[in-house]
Amino acid sequence: MTILQVDTILTLVLLSVLFSFGSSRLPRLISVVGFQGIVVSLVPFFVGHDMTIGGLFFTIATLLIRGIIIPMSIYKAINRVNIKREVEPIIGYHASIICGLLLIVAATWISRQLNIPAIKDYTLLFPTAMALLVTGMFLLMARRNAIAMVLGYIMMENGIYLVGTTISVRARHIVEFGILLDILAGVMIMAVILQNIKQTFDDVDTAHLRSLKE
Amino acid sequence: MVELIFLTPFVTGIPAFFLSKFLGRWLLMGTGAFHLIFSLFLWKNRPEAFFNNHFAVTPEGLLSLLVISLLFFLISIYAVSYLKEREIQAENVFTGFMLLFLSTMSMVTVSDHIMVFWIAIEATTLASAPLIYTHRSSASLEATWKYVLICSVGIAMALLGSVLITLSMDIGDVNAALSFSAITGVAGKLDPFWLKAGFIFILVGYGTKMGLAPMHTWLPDAHSEAPGPASALFSGVLLNCAYLGIFKTNKIMHAAGLGDFSGMILMVFGLMSILAAATFIIRQNEYKRMLAYSSIENMGIIAFGTGIGGIGVYGAVICMIHHSLIKSSLFLSAGNILLGYGNRLIKNTGDLITLMPKTFLAFFAGFAGISGFPPFGIFIGELFIILGAFRGKHYAMAGVFALSLCVIFAGFANQVMKISFDGSKAAIRLKEKPGLVWPQYILLLTSLALCISIPDTVHQTIIDAISAIGGGF
Repeated sequence: MTILQVDTILTLVLLSVLFSFGSSRLPRLISVVGFQGIVVSLVPFFVGHDMTIGGLFFTIATLLIRGIIIPMSIYKAINRVNIKREVEPIIGYHASIICGLLLIVAATWISRQLNIPAIKDYTLLFPTAMALLVTGMFLLMARRNAIAMVLGYIMMENGIYLVGTTISVRARHIVEFGILLDILAGVMIMAVILQNIKQTFDDVDTAHLRSLKE
Repeated sequence: MVELIFLTPFVTGIPAFFLSKFLGRWLLMGTGAFHLIFSLFLWKNRPEAFFNNHFAVTPEGLLSLLVISLLFFLISIYAVSYLKEREIQAENVFTGFMLLFLSTMSMVTVSDHIMVFWIAIEATTLASAPLIYTHRSSASLEATWKYVLICSVGIAMALLGSVLITLSMDIGDVNAALSFSAITGVAGKLDPFWLKAGFIFILVGYGTKMGLAPMHTWLPDAHSEAPGPASALFSGVLLNCAYLGIFKTNKIMHAAGLGDFSGMILMVFGLMSILAAATFIIRQNEYKRMLAYSSIENMGIIAFGTGIGGIGVYGAVICMIHHSLIKSSLFLSAGNILLGYGNRLIKNTGDLITLMPKTFLAFFAGFAGISGFPPFGIFIGELFIILGAFRGKHYAMAGVFALSLCVIFAGFANQVMKISFDGSKAAIRLKEKPGLVWPQYILLLTSLALCISIPDTVHQTIIDAISAIGGGF
């Protein structure tokens, strides 16, 4: 029974991965990542190990932060200050979606080769986690918009969370610290907002965080 | 007891945000002095930590800690004179974050638990990011953004690496505490496949912070945008702190019998960094960025030496210590040059020898030291590394290594000559007060003294640190 539930959840995550490859506008990408944050945080309730009080606290905190607080604050920020809505792709959307499909196939193939006893039954778990990690990296590299990059970073965090929270109790204790990574995401969002406020006031053309060269 | 080393600067750092300029400056120097004395005490007595599951005094940690203390004390003296010359917005914020930065870096050196170490590294990012944004310009904000973004990705990778190491413990059915020393003790039973995977992620993760190519892209921006004292700290000690994580994980790899694997990867990353530095340093037109690329080069040398093993590791540690001393002095001198000429571009400087003779002395001696001229320690370190490479029969790599060092020297020398001797019409806006030059002299003299005769206790500590990763004569 639980296997079915987990697979349903993970299918949703994989769908959100594909969506994020194709999203051209920021609000769409924000809601995709928010949805993904909520769904990923639900997985530990269904997989293996018993949940302690502390574990429950961390899971709910992660759900709130990645699923609601960060997406909401980014959404507010792009409405307040004048941030471009276009994600400014370096690799086009169609090519991105094909990359995404290939990525999911490759992730599935690779995880077939690996043997992790704790999650043998959940065949979709490892491929999904890997897909999330690589998609996050992809968004970081293939999108010029700073907010899209932050969202890519949050997807990476989700991927790490998904691996760590399921393979063992010990690993779960480690990824609970991953919540600290969200502080860094918060700092990044602040930097983007500051940059935009600065641009509106100074009217200095820095071509959006791109003026420094090698 | 040990914990005081990072708690003290934390406790003094918080009120520094609210103090006046005058008191803040004294607090900065006072904390630096106390930190140095306390580090020497730790070095002599090597006490047990109160939370001994999480913190421990290790030889490699002590080496870094002493370097941090000495550098911070001298840099704080410089910073006080610097702040008198250069008006910055919100000086109390700068002082406060300097102290918090010291606190987080000290925490890195004494942490033994994998996750405490990871948290400490993340905290260094948080405490140092505002230092880059000190001047409140758009360019500095961009450098801060780049720094936080790239290092965050690195830190996330290191988290994944730590998860994979616990996975290797689970598969190997090992029940040990999650501290570096405990895992090193049971390393033979860990699952080698996942341990290797964990090492790669940790190397990439902490390597990002250390400035290894191709993850080094944040480093030149951050170093050139931060004010002089902060960039001296970045280059002198922050990079070493990240190296410590790789060093400790490498210990686990050696204990598990996977030393050849980790060594090979370290050598490849090291060489890549040296090559990247060589390509960029030649056509560099800003002196602070040039120094930053030289830091990437030196981190590459350290990683390369660590990978070689044997005498190479000894060379790497020697390089690490001397790089910290010399490079921080160079960044302080670069701070003087920036104050004097008011410009970052090499072409707008010149004739340093007559315009700022005292700074010239420090800058030129630092240049000689960092390029590996005989009276300074880097020369000995690099010699040991090349010897180690020949002993290990890595002839091709040793060739590439030596050749890149020559290229870097040529590029570096060319720029330094322009800064020092080219004609210039610039009007210098700086009086070279003792506080702005003596810290550099002391750093360089320390490096020189350590090269002429290395105290037995330092030598023994280095040997203790590196014997676990196959180092020694």
